[in-house]
Amino acid sequence: MPSALLSPPGSIVPLLGNEAIARGAIEAGLDVAAAYPGTPSTEIGEALAEAAKELGFIFEWSTNEKVAAEVAIGAAWSGLRAMCFMKHVGVNVASDALFTLAYAGTVGGLVIVSADDPHAHSSQNEQDNRHYAVAMGFPMLEPSTPQEAKDFAYRAFDLSEKYLLPFFIRSTTRISHTRAPIKLGEIRERRIKGKFKPPEPDRYIQVGVYARKHHAELLEKLKTIEKELGPEFTVLKDGSAEIGIVTSGVSYTYVLEALRFLELDAPVLKLGMTHPLPRDIIADFMRKVSKILVVEELDPFLEERLRAIAKDANPSVEIIGKEGGLLPRVGELNIRLVLNAVAKVTGRAPPIDFSKLEERAKPALELAVPRPPVMCPACPHRATGYALRRAAGSAVYLNDIGCYALLFQKPFKLGDVTHAMGSSIGFANGISLATDQRTVALIGDSTFFHAGIPALINAVHNGRKFLLVILDNRITAMTGHQPHPGVPFTATGEEAPAIDLETLVKAIGVKDVHVVDPYDFKAMESAVREALKHDGVSVIIARRECALLTIRRLRREGRKIVPYRVNPERCTYCRVCINTYACPAFVDTGKVVEIDPTVCFGCGSCVDVCPYGAIEPMEGALNWRGEKIGV
Amino acid sequence: MASEVREFNIIVAGVGGQGVLFTSRVLTRAALDSGLNFVQSEVHGLAQRYGSIKTEVRIGKDVISPLIMEGTLDLLLALEPIETLRYAGYITERTSIVLNTHLVAPVGAYLERLRIPKLEEVLDALQKLGPKRLVPLNAVELAAKAGDIVATNSVLLGAADALGVLPFEEGVLRRALEKESPKRFIELNLRAFDLGREHILKR
Repeated sequence: MPSALLSPPGSIVPLLGNEAIARGAIEAGLDVAAAYPGTPSTEIGEALAEAAKELGFIFEWSTNEKVAAEVAIGAAWSGLRAMCFMKHVGVNVASDALFTLAYAGTVGGLVIVSADDPHAHSSQNEQDNRHYAVAMGFPMLEPSTPQEAKDFAYRAFDLSEKYLLPFFIRSTTRISHTRAPIKLGEIRERRIKGKFKPPEPDRYIQVGVYARKHHAELLEKLKTIEKELGPEFTVLKDGSAEIGIVTSGVSYTYVLEALRFLELDAPVLKLGMTHPLPRDIIADFMRKVSKILVVEELDPFLEERLRAIAKDANPSVEIIGKEGGLLPRVGELNIRLVLNAVAKVTGRAPPIDFSKLEERAKPALELAVPRPPVMCPACPHRATGYALRRAAGSAVYLNDIGCYALLFQKPFKLGDVTHAMGSSIGFANGISLATDQRTVALIGDSTFFHAGIPALINAVHNGRKFLLVILDNRITAMTGHQPHPGVPFTATGEEAPAIDLETLVKAIGVKDVHVVDPYDFKAMESAVREALKHDGVSVIIARRECALLTIRRLRREGRKIVPYRVNPERCTYCRVCINTYACPAFVDTGKVVEIDPTVCFGCGSCVDVCPYGAIEPMEGALNWRGEKIGV
Repeated sequence: MASEVREFNIIVAGVGGQGVLFTSRVLTRAALDSGLNFVQSEVHGLAQRYGSIKTEVRIGKDVISPLIMEGTLDLLLALEPIETLRYAGYITERTSIVLNTHLVAPVGAYLERLRIPKLEEVLDALQKLGPKRLVPLNAVELAAKAGDIVATNSVLLGAADALGVLPFEEGVLRRALEKESPKRFIELNLRAFDLGREHILKR
C-alpha cells in the first residue's frame, strides 16, 4: 500500500522486498528512476510511481531497459542520485550501456537493481546475474531479507558516490516478492537539479587509449572496495559444529531455519557483497572448519570461487555444494532442500520424515489436475487467437513475451517459438527468407515498442514477406498494467503524447496495415485472409483494451458484472466452445456446457463461437460492443 | 500472547483472480497489528493469470525464510477445492483446512480430457491426510448473500477467524480486513467476514 511506503521514519510497515528497495532509494534522496516493467522487479516502479506524485522526484517507465539505464546514467552523470531496475533478462538488453559504464563510472549515486527469477516463475530463463557483476566490473550487493533490501539500497547510493562507481543490487523473486515488517528511516533531501560536467575531460569518452586507462582504474577501485566494504556486508555466525556454511541472498534464511530444525550449531558466513568477494574473510573462515557447505541459488558461483580461494587458504578443506549434485542448479531452494543437504553432510536425521509425507500425499496429488496459467475471461488475445487459428491455419507462429505467449497452449497452438523481447519479428525475418512457409509473428504493443521496431524496419527494408499481428491491448498487461509509449499517460499519471502504432508502422513503410477489434471475429478473419495475400510485410493491429482494465473500470463506476449463460435447451453438448475458445468460465458438466458466473466477465465475445446460438446474455449484461442488452 | 508465538504457517491457495494476494495481505496486516513478526511470499506476473496461485504467510518470532517447510503447515486457506490438493505434502495433524467448496475446473483439463475430481473426492482425500480440522463451506454462496461474490475471500477469512486457530486476539483480523479493503468494498467485505464467522460459530 502506498500509504505504508511513505509512513513516517521510525514506523514499522509491511512492505514487499521491491517496495523496500524503493523506500531505501527514496530515503537516500533519489532524484531520478527509470525502468521497463518486468517480473519480479515491477513493484519497485509501482511504489516509486506512487511516491513520485507525492514527493516530486522523477520516475518514468522507459521504452526498454537499455533506455532506462541510459536515462539513469545521464541523470547520475549530471550529479543527481539515480536508479534503474530490471528483471534479470532486462540486464541483457541494458548490458551494452552497462558494460562500458563501469569504465566511465559516475558522479551522482547510481544504483542498478537486477531482480533474478530462480525457478523461472515468470521468466524465460534462470540466468544468474552475479556473473554480470564480475564481467562488467560492478560491485554487487545481495540482500537476504526485505529489510536488508531497503538498507542495502539506501547504503548503495552513498557508496556509489564515495567510489564514483555504480553499484548493483541483486534481488531474487523470494526477496522481491516477500512481504515483511520494514523499519523506515529518515528521507534525505533531494538535489533536484543537476549539472552535466565530466570530472575529467576524458572520463566519459571510451576510445582505445582512454578505455584502457579507465579499465586499469576500475580494477584498482575494485581492490579497494573489497578491502573496505568486505567486513560491512559480511555476517558471521559462530558455531561449534565442524561443518561451516557459506551462503548469500535468500538462501541464508533457509540455512538459518534448517539449522534451527536440526538443532545444529554450525558456523555460518553470509556474504552480502558477492562482487568483489571479501577473500580474506572467506580465507579466515576456511581455516576454522574442515568442511564447507555452500548454499546459493542457481549457479555454483560462490562455490567455484571458494575452491579457488581454498588453494591458498586451506587446500585440505572440503567444499560441498552443487558440483557433486547435493544441491540443485535448476529451480529455487527452500528449507527442506537445505535441511536435507545439511543432514546428509553431517550424518543427522531430518526431524520430519519427508518421504512418509510424500507417500501419504500421493493419492491427493494424483487428483490435483494441473492448472497452468491461461488467458483471463474476456481477454482480447483469446479472440485474436481464435480468428488467427481459423483464418491463417497452418503456418509458422512466432510468439513473443507477454500474456499472449499463452496462445501457444491448446486449442490455439499459436506459438512455435517464445524466446526474447521482440524476437518474434526478428525470427520472422530469418524464417521467411529461409523457407516458403507461411510465417506469422505475434507481438504485444508494449513489447513492440520495447524491441520490435528495428526488426520490422529490417523486414521492410530487406523485402521480407510475413504477417505481423500486434496485439494492442493498450497497456503493458502481464506485469500489472504499466503505461507504454503508445498510451496517452505516464507512469505518474500525467498526460503524455501517445505514439500512434498505425502511423509508426506506415512510416516504416508497411503498405498493408489493418486495425481491427479482435472481438469482431468477421472483421479479424477477413483482415487475416487479406493480409496473407499481400506480397510483403503486412501488419494487423488487433486493438482492444485489456479485459482486466475494462472490468476494473466497470467496478469503479459501481456497475455490476453480469455474466452470460448457456441455454440448456439449445446446447447440444458439441463442445465447440471449449474446443475452440477455451474461456476459463466454461464448465463441462458431462451433459451440457455451462458458464461459471463466478468466473465470467460478461464480455459476450463467446456468443458467436456457439454454432447453435446457445450462449445468451442475462438481464442487464453487456454485449461486446458495450451496448446494454437483456434476454 | 504475541511474544509466545514462535511459528504459525499459513498457505493461501486459489486460482489467479480470486483474491489470494489480498487475503494474505490482510493476514500480514493482522500479524503486524498484533505485534508479531511475519514473512509472506507470493508470485506475480504470468504465474498468476488464472492459474494455480498460492502465497505463504509465516507468523512468529522464529520465522525468517519466505517459504514453509513441508510438514509444518498450520492453516490451509483455500479459495478453490482442487487447489487444496496441491499442498497435500504439507498437511499433518497440526494443519487446519478451511476451503471454499465452489469448484472451478481448469479449462485445460477439458481440452486434455483429464478427469476432474468431484468435491466429495477432494474432501475424502484431504480427510485421509489426517488434518486437525477440515472445514468446507460454500463461501461463494455466503459472499453472494453479503452482496457480491468478489467477497468470497472475506467469507473464508471470517471462517478461519471463528475457528480460533489463528494467533490473533478477537477482532484483530476483522480490523485488518477493514484497513486493507479499498473504500468501496469495506462494507461488503465486513458483511462477508461476519457471515463466514457466523457460519462456523453456529455449527
